[in-house]
Amino acid sequence: MIWLTWRQFRFQATVTLTILAAATIYVMTTGLRMHHAYAADIAACPHPEIGCRFFLSFQGSYNAEQRLLEMLVFAAPALIGIFWGAPLIAAELERGSHRMLWNQSVTPTRWLAVKLAILALAALLTAAVLSLLLTWWASPLDQRSNDRFAAMTFGTRGVTPLGYAAFAFALGTVLGLLIRRTLPAMAVTLAVFIALQIVFAAVLRPNLLPSTAATMPINATTMSQVQGIGTGPDPSGPVQIFRPGKADAWILSATNLENSSGHEISGNQVSTCLNNQSLDLTGIGDCLAPYNLHIDYTYQPADNYWPLQWLETGFYLALAALLGGACFWRIRRHRD
Amino acid sequence: MTAIVEAHALGKRFGARWALADCTLNIPPGHVVGLVGPNGAGKSTLLKLACGLLTPTSGSITVLGGRPGSGREQIAKVGYLAQDAPVEPALSIADHLRLGAHLNPRWDKALASARIASLGLDPKQKAGKLSGGQRAQLALTMATSKHPQVLILDEPVASLDPLARRDFLKLLMDTVAEHGTSVILSSHLISDLERVCDYLVVLAAAQVRLVGEVEELTAVHRWITCTRRDADTLPAGVEVVSAKHTDRQSTFMVRSDTPMPPGDWVSEPVGLEDLVLTYMERGPASAGPLAPRNVESAR
Repeated sequence: MIWLTWRQFRFQATVTLTILAAATIYVMTTGLRMHHAYAADIAACPHPEIGCRFFLSFQGSYNAEQRLLEMLVFAAPALIGIFWGAPLIAAELERGSHRMLWNQSVTPTRWLAVKLAILALAALLTAAVLSLLLTWWASPLDQRSNDRFAAMTFGTRGVTPLGYAAFAFALGTVLGLLIRRTLPAMAVTLAVFIALQIVFAAVLRPNLLPSTAATMPINATTMSQVQGIGTGPDPSGPVQIFRPGKADAWILSATNLENSSGHEISGNQVSTCLNNQSLDLTGIGDCLAPYNLHIDYTYQPADNYWPLQWLETGFYLALAALLGGACFWRIRRHRD
Repeated sequence: MTAIVEAHALGKRFGARWALADCTLNIPPGHVVGLVGPNGAGKSTLLKLACGLLTPTSGSITVLGGRPGSGREQIAKVGYLAQDAPVEPALSIADHLRLGAHLNPRWDKALASARIASLGLDPKQKAGKLSGGQRAQLALTMATSKHPQVLILDEPVASLDPLARRDFLKLLMDTVAEHGTSVILSSHLISDLERVCDYLVVLAAAQVRLVGEVEELTAVHRWITCTRRDADTLPAGVEVVSAKHTDRQSTFMVRSDTPMPPGDWVSEPVGLEDLVLTYMERGPASAGPLAPRNVESAR
């Protein structure tokens, strides 16, 4: 049965290995160059923890490559669900060849167990390799951008791709078993997988762990750590802070600038500080300090990165196990 | 000896429709059993129940004493060739033989290779590229090379041309002669079955209409042609299976376990085809009183 599973999976395996090999070569060649350049930049920068101007151009010059690799790692679980999971059972049911195979002294349960085990393992391995490659490749960029919680970053680094891959594969398999047609099973797999990805990232992930609430007074010290301040297109509108708080935390929500009695202030009230071209952020902070302003915000501290990664991965793996169990339950009740 | 198939009040329902209802059978081993019936009569359902691809809605079925599909050993004893002879199109013939060797406990490698060679097939050829006849031969090879004690074939010759049909049936008969395999073979073509079967099961509208050894069935049924009369004027102990009347003449198919007494009628033997067609046409109501008797003859 192991041989048969391999023989039926050979084509997909070849394609996958080709893609992995190409990705590895690409990551190695561009990655080594980038890591060298970054090491040189760090050496040339007197205070790397504060940053240097040329770090910006460093990040900018690898933008396209980063997008490409992130897309690959992001799409891989969906592709695994569509091209490995959905046809795994549906294709045989569609052709009727399960009637031949199940009568070669193999019980449907064993047939399913071997197929699921081997391909689930392959899915996990594939996702692990891709995630390792990208996590290593992008480590200098991630260090500079300090935005590990961004949806595209969080979902393509660390262990989360493993959970996605296992889940997408199990989802495709169970839908193939239920729908019994390869093409519709593929389409439904994609739709369900994307829907869950969006819901999870937008609604569930921020609430997996309790967030922390904090208040940030506006002064020179605090303003030197944020990325920007502004009113949006209407200069009399409320004033926002961009990326407040510790730079490596995940800001979930933040109020606009408020005065000491908790009322939002308008841009006009502080326009002298905001429109002064000669001030940097620290200067603006100094200028705003007498107004006694603050913002309230909630965030996931940087320490929660790995707990969140493992929680999300665990959630997806548990779902995958559940769907795998559903396959066994369903195959025993299979009506030919 | 254990019966090939033993079924008690076996039924299978799909949604609201009974594909097979109240089927009671006991087929002794060592036969080539023909399963005949019109399309949709429940032939495939019965065969799938026998190989474990379906589970009964009601009643019970055992094959060679075991519950169909209950485990590896049970599946190994039963060879099954599904309708349309499914194979894995992406795998070559050699791959098929290899998977058979991997999966079955008693795979006859030499027999399988010899079969493929005698058919003149290239083992490297993909199964998806085979003609209908070649595919059926490959599927039969897959079903027979595992040395089953009973071979279940669902309309194996339906899609074959006459030449391929003859070759296929010859290969089948060789297997039966060589290994003493019991066979259950379904078809809606009686002429195919007539050549190879020595036991008959007639299904129509989800119900068993007739069961028995071919020789016995043809021996107890007669055509009676006489001047026009009612069926109940025939001698006692004779059951009327069918009756046709013209203005002056009546034709009956009768079943009688004792030889027909002489009378003012012409008595002729019944061919298998006529027998099957007559029993297929009979409504279930008129078959009612006869049904227990048919079952009796199967024991």
